[in-house]
Amino acid sequence: MEDNPNLQYKSTIMSATEFDRAMRRIAHEVIERNKGASDVALVGIHTRGAPLAERLAALIEGFEGTRPMIGKLDITLYRDDLTEISLQPVVKRTEVDFDVHGARIVLVDDVLFTGRTARAALDAIVDMGRPAAIQYAVMVDRGHRELPIRADYVGKNVPTSRSEIVHVRVAEVDGEDQVELWERTE
Amino acid sequence: MRAVLRGGRLLDGAGDHGVHDLYVKDGVVEGTDLGGTVDQELDAAGMVVTPAFLDLHAHLRDPGQETKEDLASGLAAAAAGGFGTVVSMANTVPVVDDPGMVADLVARAARLPGARLRPAAALSKGLRGEELTDMAALAAAGAVMVTDDGVPVADARLFRSACHYAAELGLVVQTHSEDPGLRDDGVMNEGEVSQRLGLPGNPVEAEAVMLFRDGEIARLTGARVHLAHVSSARGLEVGRWLKASGAPVTLEVTPHHLTLTDEALAGYDPVFKVAPPLRREADVEALRAGLRDGSVDSIGTDHAPHTLAEKQQDMLSAPFGIANLEVSFPLLHTRLVAAGLLPLGRLLWHLQDGPAAVMGWPAPRLSPGAPADITVLDLQTSAPVVGAEFRSKAKHTPWEGEAFTGWPVATLVGGEVVFRRAQAAA
Amino acid sequence: MIGAAAAHVPPTPPPALARRQRHLLDFEGWPAEDLVALLDTADVMAQVLTRPVKRVPALQGFTVATLFFEDSTRTRLSFERAARAQSADVMSFSAGSSSLAKGESLRDTLRTIEQLQADLYVVRHRSAGVPHQLARWTDGAVVNAGDGRHAHPTQALLDAYTLRAALTEAGLTAQDRIRPFAGRRLAIVGDVEHSRVARSNAALFTRLGGEVVLAGPAGLLPPQLAAQPGVHVTADLGEAVSGADAVMALRLQRERMGSSRLPSLAEYVHRYQITQRHMEMAAPHARFMHPGPMNRDVEVATDVADGPRSLVERQVAAGVPVRMAVLYTLLVGKR
Repeated sequence: MEDNPNLQYKSTIMSATEFDRAMRRIAHEVIERNKGASDVALVGIHTRGAPLAERLAALIEGFEGTRPMIGKLDITLYRDDLTEISLQPVVKRTEVDFDVHGARIVLVDDVLFTGRTARAALDAIVDMGRPAAIQYAVMVDRGHRELPIRADYVGKNVPTSRSEIVHVRVAEVDGEDQVELWERTE
Repeated sequence: MRAVLRGGRLLDGAGDHGVHDLYVKDGVVEGTDLGGTVDQELDAAGMVVTPAFLDLHAHLRDPGQETKEDLASGLAAAAAGGFGTVVSMANTVPVVDDPGMVADLVARAARLPGARLRPAAALSKGLRGEELTDMAALAAAGAVMVTDDGVPVADARLFRSACHYAAELGLVVQTHSEDPGLRDDGVMNEGEVSQRLGLPGNPVEAEAVMLFRDGEIARLTGARVHLAHVSSARGLEVGRWLKASGAPVTLEVTPHHLTLTDEALAGYDPVFKVAPPLRREADVEALRAGLRDGSVDSIGTDHAPHTLAEKQQDMLSAPFGIANLEVSFPLLHTRLVAAGLLPLGRLLWHLQDGPAAVMGWPAPRLSPGAPADITVLDLQTSAPVVGAEFRSKAKHTPWEGEAFTGWPVATLVGGEVVFRRAQAAA
Repeated sequence: MIGAAAAHVPPTPPPALARRQRHLLDFEGWPAEDLVALLDTADVMAQVLTRPVKRVPALQGFTVATLFFEDSTRTRLSFERAARAQSADVMSFSAGSSSLAKGESLRDTLRTIEQLQADLYVVRHRSAGVPHQLARWTDGAVVNAGDGRHAHPTQALLDAYTLRAALTEAGLTAQDRIRPFAGRRLAIVGDVEHSRVARSNAALFTRLGGEVVLAGPAGLLPPQLAAQPGVHVTADLGEAVSGADAVMALRLQRERMGSSRLPSLAEYVHRYQITQRHMEMAAPHARFMHPGPMNRDVEVATDVADGPRSLVERQVAAGVPVRMAVLYTLLVGKR
């Protein structure tokens, strides 16, 4: 699927600099809201949430001197659209090696759209134990919510149409940090 | 009653007589190109007109298993397959081991349209392999052969006694030559395929050793022993050796062993479960060679009908047998004759003169005075096998949907038209 | 902005397998890639089973029916647990052969059960091929839970899952992820002829790059099984276990003991029991495996069965996650 003829590039929403600035701001907000980082655990949602969580953790450690706990969450088994998304959705390992009980968990993802991924992530976390709080950080909130879900930390709010795709490119996965807007042409 | 088969090519064991009008009158052949008035006229233009086939090996299930087949459906199926005479096997419920039962079969069959019935009787009472049947009385009642077919005769001493007795009476003994111990619980040919499929196997050796035993007992007693459904190259070798060394045996092969291999079982469909089992490609090749070189005497259908429910059991529980009276000739015509592997005359011989010789019956001919048991074959038109249209009660077939040529279009028995194929809707 | 689009890399959809398997009847038509994906999925499922809430909603709304025509409580329970741990509904049907005795065909039985509208049927039967037959007749998915001597694919998968993990722990991770058993040899010892476990393991381990040696008394060791690439047969137990990476003993069925197929139990024990000595002939990291239930001191000496090289308990533990992965794989995804 390298060349998808049905997708057309429209514009760049965030440059690498803006991306980095947003990450730093979110890191500060997390510290602010949680009065430090001692009980904080950053849990990235597969695929792009995971490197974002790692980076936020590094930033927080840089600002605070304490490194928050880190985890990776695969929400495939909690999705409500398993018979629709693809021929055979691949499940990945979840890596949450700390005790969820009592932790202040910040779920990290690239884009907040319908809210269904966040719903699945909430269920997945709760099944691992009873955290003190769950917060939600995203790089882009593009609107079109289908569930009563909102993000606590947002890199940028981007009004979009449903036919558009917000492509958050992350250096660890895509080679560079950049947020792009694409359009489904068909 | 006088009828004419107009414009067909007349073929019988005496040769190709060319295209003629064939007249039949009062149950026998009257002659060719006679003219005059007739009561019935059949157009045989472009067809082959030949003596109706003889099947020495059909399970008609009557009495007792009429849900599988009965005399009416079985004899109608035979006629539809081009057969004018059928030898019914004795493994019914109860077993045909009593002269009254033989007489009853003969009497009932005489009133039914379809092929002639020449019943076989059991060799041992109840097919139990313990006590001999009253063969003299059975023969007097109309039995033409004794056989425990369906069940191998395990006890060699009993088989020897049976052969002595049958020899004295001039009865043909037909075997089901499979060693019960070696056959064990096998449901298919033992080999690479059975091992891959995890199904219990029945080795070629089960057949080979029993054919050898049965042939040697034929030699010992002088009985005419017809070795039924030889299925393997090894079995055929044993049969050839027995014949060459003077044992009074004859050999039968079946349509399915001539055309299918054990690979057919790969989908675990019990429609292919048959005893003896379907073998390997090399066995099929060997049996075909046996037809060509004449070491095989007859093709017997081993028509073995079962209900669909029985055949939709698991592979271990489903019964053995293929119902193939109606497809045998088209199948063999297509796969052997049309494929250039066997001359037409040779195939006909194995369904006419071959089996007649096995039984000591006169060779079927189209000559004046011969019984008007005749079949008309369309060797040109290709049509698919449609099990649902079978006269047999068993309407499932390994060849469903396959296109064959060589369909019988009409069959006469004793001058009466007992089968006519409906014209295909345009 | 013409030309700019070419400079941009479009977003790609989430990872997914290229094909959708409909049934697990045996390993015919299952490429190594799909099999390894199953084992990887089982890893995730094992993780689910370590959490406080041992259940995920993945199969919500699906119904799994277990059809056990032959009794096997442990396999049935394992499948039912695997279904429930993913929130599927479960129906169990233990038929014996009662309805068949009443003249009902296998197909009739299935028709009746189909009225209950299951999405997936888990089938165990004494006859080989029944899962294939049912797969022909139903729109649902079919999982073979053991058919005659033919196959027991989920047992082989859990064996492969367990051994792959054990080899990884021993630092013997394969280079090629879809050939986890490349260069590895599995010896399977016992009544190979009647064993669906042996057949399925031979098929699976060779597909995953390994070699399999089947060993046992000559009368119970069909030479034709060596027709598969990567499979050898030998009646010599020493030869089979020498250098093996894993030794699997098969359960000796009681009815086979002292039958015409086997002279005596004592002789079998003497010639084919897996003992400490055999494990010492195997590779230094070699593990012992058994599909269960074990006849202790018949096919395996107790000290081997309970010893440090034994994977028997881990095999049992692998049952649920592997079967979860199978159910997940067959049910989830676009139709």
